[in-house]
Amino acid sequence: MLQAIILVVAQMIVLLAVSPFLVGLIRKVKARLQLRRGASVLQPYADLAKLFRKQPVVSTTTSWIFTATPYIVFASTLAAGLLIPIFVSITPLDFAGNIIAVVYLLALGTFFLMLAGLDAGSSFGGMGSSREAIVASLTEPAMILSIFAIALTKGSTNLSTIVHKTALLEGIATDPSPYLMALAALLIVALAETGRVPVDNPATHLELTMIHEAMVLEYSGRYLALIEWAAGLKLAVFLSLIANVFAPWGIATTLAPTAMGIGLLAYLLKVSGLAVLIGILESMFAKLRLFRVTDLLGVAFILALLGLLFFYILRS
Amino acid sequence: MTETRFYDEELKVAFPLIVQDEAAKGEFSHFLVPKDLLPAITHHLHTQPSLHGRLTLLWAVDNRPIRDAYGLHYLFTLGASRSWVVLSTELAEGDRLFPSITPHIHAAMWYEREIRDMFGLIPQGHPDLRRLVRHEHWPKGTHPLKKNFPWDHVLGRQQGEHHFRRIEGEGVFEVPVGPIHAGIIEPGHFRFSVAGEPIMQLELHHFWTHRGVEKLFEQQTLTAAVPLAERVSGDTTIGHSLAYCQAVESLLHIEVPRRGRYLRSLFLELERLHNHLGDVGAICNDTAYALPHAHCGRMKEQIMQLNDKLTGSRFLRGVNRVGGVEIDLTVAQLAEVVAEMDHIEKDFSELELIIIHNASLTDRLETTGVLTERTAWDHAVVGVVGRASGLDQDLRRDRPFAAYDELPVKVVNYRYGDVRARIRVRMDEIHESMRLVREIRLKLPQGPVAVEPSRRAQAREWALSAVEGWRGEILYMVMAGENGTIHRCKVRDPSFANWPAIQQAVLGNIIPDFPLINKSFNLSYAGNDL
Repeated sequence: MLQAIILVVAQMIVLLAVSPFLVGLIRKVKARLQLRRGASVLQPYADLAKLFRKQPVVSTTTSWIFTATPYIVFASTLAAGLLIPIFVSITPLDFAGNIIAVVYLLALGTFFLMLAGLDAGSSFGGMGSSREAIVASLTEPAMILSIFAIALTKGSTNLSTIVHKTALLEGIATDPSPYLMALAALLIVALAETGRVPVDNPATHLELTMIHEAMVLEYSGRYLALIEWAAGLKLAVFLSLIANVFAPWGIATTLAPTAMGIGLLAYLLKVSGLAVLIGILESMFAKLRLFRVTDLLGVAFILALLGLLFFYILRS
Repeated sequence: MTETRFYDEELKVAFPLIVQDEAAKGEFSHFLVPKDLLPAITHHLHTQPSLHGRLTLLWAVDNRPIRDAYGLHYLFTLGASRSWVVLSTELAEGDRLFPSITPHIHAAMWYEREIRDMFGLIPQGHPDLRRLVRHEHWPKGTHPLKKNFPWDHVLGRQQGEHHFRRIEGEGVFEVPVGPIHAGIIEPGHFRFSVAGEPIMQLELHHFWTHRGVEKLFEQQTLTAAVPLAERVSGDTTIGHSLAYCQAVESLLHIEVPRRGRYLRSLFLELERLHNHLGDVGAICNDTAYALPHAHCGRMKEQIMQLNDKLTGSRFLRGVNRVGGVEIDLTVAQLAEVVAEMDHIEKDFSELELIIIHNASLTDRLETTGVLTERTAWDHAVVGVVGRASGLDQDLRRDRPFAAYDELPVKVVNYRYGDVRARIRVRMDEIHESMRLVREIRLKLPQGPVAVEPSRRAQAREWALSAVEGWRGEILYMVMAGENGTIHRCKVRDPSFANWPAIQQAVLGNIIPDFPLINKSFNLSYAGNDL
């Protein structure tokens, strides 16, 4: 019991501490590729600290949804983060839920963000919410299916089991095609869900083009800090999911301190590598036209479906 | 010259009541027209295939201090020969009505509304008589360009509401954007009517930065107003000051020395370069493709630092003066300019390939914000935007000024009228400008760069001047007052001609593509609002 609590706290601290760093790292990579020096990778921490000290301004036309949303989004994203293995393959909240819970905890946050976007009654917030609804409804099936393709090979929807087995090289399929399909699908989903290029542009100031940023335009002060932090957490959740489901090696499979130390180091290396990859991808592509986003997410869905089919075809 | 004659004779035959003003034979044909004939004769000029006249400028003058009349002037550029025809009419003895030509020449729309706001003259038959420049909170009867309106008068406020054209129906929403924007840009209001994401209608509501520039000109003397012209639109210092200086020089009968004219061309091309480089990067950035933005930003900065080194001003302020230029360049400086051009062109060519070959970027730019040739012609669109829509016009070639009579310019032309065509025009013009800079260095003659004005301008005499700035045609009409003062100065930034065309270019596009389309036009708010 005590052990589980310690593990929960440790994983929470790691997630909360790492997520601003990942955001800063992506920005740094993009800056370097543009021959700029760029802000320090620690800048997001300073931004959060600043925002937490600022007084929030709340429109008088908003309801309780507006003020509750930052807490709901932050809590649900953090809870999702505790359901996936980070640096120990034994998930602290293993008993509480499986991969499906992760997907819908994230969806809960998205749902409240969309409501909050509509709540203030500004036209930009409404536009952001309606666009987010399209993106969210298309990423959800692709994400579920790609995880299912993996779950089938391991015979479990429990992420802890999946990661644990893969890390110990148990039940590794001889043909990697379901994995590759699912990986590609999940990468696309991750880019879409975390609002990165080519789906959304986190660096823009043009309200008319925004998706995620448009929904949160009305937020300020500590509310904005929570939302920014939650966005960073979501990024960390997706990168951890990809890193640990497809390449869990290095993760601690026991609770021995050295194994956990190595696991933490391996985890940081893997997610940093993925963050650098996202930075490079963002520098290579222009953002898609809004209505082409559905094509891209359609591709993700098809890839995930193919991964699922391949599993059955290869088995028989 | 013979061609001009042919037009003149044809017009005189078609409209026997008009009188040709023989005094203005040199630069343009000038006709005095009874006001009732205006719609017919402008229609003739505009639609007759042999004339194919484009409404280039429409301005009014308050002549009441001398005699009880307002003057109205219509400048047309005729098809192939690019010769100018000016039609003038007078509204005498308290007559405040004139016939609108907007019903058959769409490009007159804003000009006539502007005249109505500024002079209180009413274009009869105009389809849209809402206020344009003077927003609804200006008190009734405020017409600042009337001579009896004191320039330092502080306006009161009245209640008023601007009525936008409305589309109503199931699922149709209005999206107001601006005048305060998130970026560091000027104020302008855009009112979209959308059904979901597709834009059904866009209506502009501009003129928030109206500073009364034309009224301020009237407080200046002819030779002292150059700094004001430089500040009409901050990014077009040389374009505006050059157009202003040329108009004044023609009033003072000054012949600018050849070296001065060459240097004016050089600085105009440098201005074109830093603006075009900035625009190419900014267009890419609006698709979230930040790499070209960073590199273009660097190259733009290199040119602006070069400007600073040569003239002491990054924006080339204080370069032009009436009679020539203030700054002469040494041989070493010219060599440095050309070396910098070679250096930047090498980098830019590499970047250009990246931009052209990036499929995701091309997908965003192609077919976005199409302005067809016909729509562009109807709106009398000028400059980069016109050349991207198939309108083959460039004053550097068509009506050479500065040293362009000795520096042939290859005019860039694309037909598709989409954002890609507009970025391509800019990229090609960057190369052409660099070529021109090199040619100027080779051909630059020796001699003085400026002459002092020797005579005074005759009161009531007026002159037109046109410059192809980086955005497009900049037009100035300067009318001299008593003792070297300015009686009237009409300023026309290319933005004023091009803004209304955006309303057409966005139709059928989706809202998130609007910033990209707007950026590909990149029009000035200050130059438009005056």
